[in-house]
Amino acid sequence: MKAGVVPTVFIIDDDRGMRQAVQDLVESVGLRAESFATGQEFLNRQRPSDSSCLVLDVRLPQMSGLDFQRQLAEIGMQIPIIFITAHGDIPMSVRALKSGAVEFLTKPFRDQDLLDAIHQALQRDRAAREEQAQIHDLHERYHALTAREREVMTLVVSGMLSKQIASEMGVSEATVKIHRGNVMQKMQAGSVVELVRMADKLKLSPHK
Amino acid sequence: MSDPSPNLEYIGAATNTTEGSHADEERQTRLWFLESIDLINRTIRGTEDLEQMMSHVLDAVVSIFECDRAWMVYPCDPESQTWRTVMERTSPGLSNSLFLGLDFTMDAEVAHMHRMVRDSETAARFGTGADNPIPGVIAARLTIQTQICVAVYPKIDKPYIFGLDQCRRARNWTRQEQRLFEEIGQRLATLLTSLSMSRDLQESKARLEEAQRVAHVGHYEWNLDANRITWSDELYRIYGLRPQERPMDLATLREMIHPEDRESVFRGAEEALRGEVRPVAEHRIIRPDGEVRIVHGLGTVKRDASGRPYEMFGTVQDITDRKRVEESLQRTQVYLSEGQRLTHTGSWACNLVTKQIFHSSDENARLYGFDPSEGPIPFDRFYSAILAEDEPALRSKLENAIRSGADYDVEFRIRHTDGTIRFMRGIGHHNPSQEIGEYVGITMDITERKDAEEERERLRMLESDLAHINRVNMMGELAAALAHEIKQPIAASITSADACLRWLAHDPPDLERARAAAARIERDGNRAADVINSLRSFYKTGTSAERQLVNIKDIIGEMTVLLRTEAARHSVTIHADLGADVPDILSNQVQLQQVLVNLMLNAIEAMKDTGGEMTIRSRVNPEGQLMISISDTGIGLPAESSERIFEPFHTTKPQGTGMGLTITRSIVESWGGRVWATPNQAAGATFHFTVSGI
Repeated sequence: MKAGVVPTVFIIDDDRGMRQAVQDLVESVGLRAESFATGQEFLNRQRPSDSSCLVLDVRLPQMSGLDFQRQLAEIGMQIPIIFITAHGDIPMSVRALKSGAVEFLTKPFRDQDLLDAIHQALQRDRAAREEQAQIHDLHERYHALTAREREVMTLVVSGMLSKQIASEMGVSEATVKIHRGNVMQKMQAGSVVELVRMADKLKLSPHK
Repeated sequence: MSDPSPNLEYIGAATNTTEGSHADEERQTRLWFLESIDLINRTIRGTEDLEQMMSHVLDAVVSIFECDRAWMVYPCDPESQTWRTVMERTSPGLSNSLFLGLDFTMDAEVAHMHRMVRDSETAARFGTGADNPIPGVIAARLTIQTQICVAVYPKIDKPYIFGLDQCRRARNWTRQEQRLFEEIGQRLATLLTSLSMSRDLQESKARLEEAQRVAHVGHYEWNLDANRITWSDELYRIYGLRPQERPMDLATLREMIHPEDRESVFRGAEEALRGEVRPVAEHRIIRPDGEVRIVHGLGTVKRDASGRPYEMFGTVQDITDRKRVEESLQRTQVYLSEGQRLTHTGSWACNLVTKQIFHSSDENARLYGFDPSEGPIPFDRFYSAILAEDEPALRSKLENAIRSGADYDVEFRIRHTDGTIRFMRGIGHHNPSQEIGEYVGITMDITERKDAEEERERLRMLESDLAHINRVNMMGELAAALAHEIKQPIAASITSADACLRWLAHDPPDLERARAAAARIERDGNRAADVINSLRSFYKTGTSAERQLVNIKDIIGEMTVLLRTEAARHSVTIHADLGADVPDILSNQVQLQQVLVNLMLNAIEAMKDTGGEMTIRSRVNPEGQLMISISDTGIGLPAESSERIFEPFHTTKPQGTGMGLTITRSIVESWGGRVWATPNQAAGATFHFTVSGI
């Protein structure tokens, strides 16, 4: 955790008492917390760039927590969710966890269990954010390649030798080697294996 | 009498004789005497009317004696206050004496005269040539020379004075004349006796008629030889005819007897004439106007020495009214006894001390399992039917009542001879004017009522069990929602407690935050307790109709809490629109809660697929009852009668018992309230119920 950047825990629970208690608990361990009575209130708020997680009550007046989880995925909002419920059953928790929930806690829960889940969620959020940043970086490098270079890269990650690529592209082997050198340099790849991994992350298809 | 006047006697005799010899005179005188008596006798026989007869006799006397006046005075009694001339005849050309029919005071002279006449064996003479003068009161009014008087003694009355006046000349009465006069006096006595008897008879007859009329008794005589029937006036009236309006004969009589009774009446009469039976008959007659009357005839047959009947006579009484009273009495008795049978009520009168039974109705015997046709049942037999375990308490109650002369009302059981046990209720009334221990009363078999009471109690229990089951069921339906409702504040307070501890663990401890957390713990703890309390009252099995002052707003608030989660689950929101001045009401809180929850759950159910709004309103209706309405925006009432939804087992829910609204109705009606449903104009339905006790 970088100094000065405090992650935020968002809480959605229609029960005011519960909402306040969770917020207070989170704040007592030095985290930031914000609480909402409904999902809509949460969506109306601009999400901070700092790492965060969501403590979500399963039973909400207008829409259940599980449905809200699906809605978030649909709009592409990725935020780790910890479900809390006063009325949990196994099918419900399985469904929640399969949909990517960090934890499914039944009220009343041990404070440490919630805090652990929060930390885990924040970590996951951070990891996700780093992953996201990395992919973003690769995209930028990839966009810096020329059309020829992208063509050569695709053929390289598909496992073709330079001679094969030259034959495929109808150019000399020497020309292929120049392009290949440029690709390795621009993509900051140390080896062909590394380049293949990058192509995976960029979701480059071997056959266009 | 000491101064006879033979000359005048001779003159009188001479007028009636043509021969002059002394013997002849004797014979003539004797003849005159006989002829005179004969004249009197003929006069007497000449008429049947006694008054007229007397008058004719006096006329004959005036003529026989050639005197001026013949009269009768009543009474011949010197002690009497007054006297009166009751009859008087005068010779032609002489006016009446002015004494006739008037009462005169019995003065000393008249009294003396009366005494003389009464005391004299023979006729007494007054006036000229006699020892005694004519009394002044008479002499002052009439010119009378001589007067001859004799006392006449009728058999059943006071004596009269029979007298003759000779006004224009003095007269010396011959011995023959005096004897004839006295003899006529004797005749008059007989006549007066008859007259008096006849008057009595007339009076008696009139009285008899009157009595017959009053008693509706008529009488008849049937002369068998002449085949003549004579009816009394009343008998005509009984037959609806005017007295004596027509002669009666057998054919007419036959027509008037009711056709169904005709033969038996005539057969009875024939048998009576043959001497087989007394002519007694009760039969119906038909009056000319068609009215049917019932008569009772009682007769006697008169027979001559040979035993041959020659007359039948008797009385006929109209007994219609009596019969009707009897019939109505009989009917009343039948009704009474039928009534006793139907109500299993026996009546009795007895002395509980002497154990003497004065009256015991048939049903009374039957109630104890006895056969009333067996005759009177002794007190001890009744008493020994009482169950041994009930007897001491009963005895003590009866003894107390007897001692204080009070009425009693007791319940006890008896055992019939076949072993069945019956519940009895006995009510006894003591009239203070009666002997100690004398009671009249009734006994009722209340076994069925007792059974019904037990059945009712069982039903009541069942209903209350059902109501309880309904509450438990509702809780079952709500269990998830309620668990959530309770867990929520508990979880919140646990989390707050954790937070509180963490604020305290800070270095330095953050007391402000810790205190805030502690406050929340208390708040949420109370919240949980409230929910549990409202739940607990709901689970109570108590059926007591105990009422207390309840705040309807609070109850609706609590029930809203219980149902909030369930409502939220189906996207139903609950509004209460109760107005500021909802009065507290005297009611049963548990029942009120149950009714509210049933109706609120019903509203949620109606909106479960669509979500919607539930609104609870209250107002005081014109009858002064609190009316609570619960509206929903759901599916509305079923197309068929909205009443059917209150019927048992009418349900739209797959898991419903169909008893919710039925129980709701039974609870509301047990308060004397009403519950009903109306469709909403926009959507859904509104359920209303009233509760009294404001």
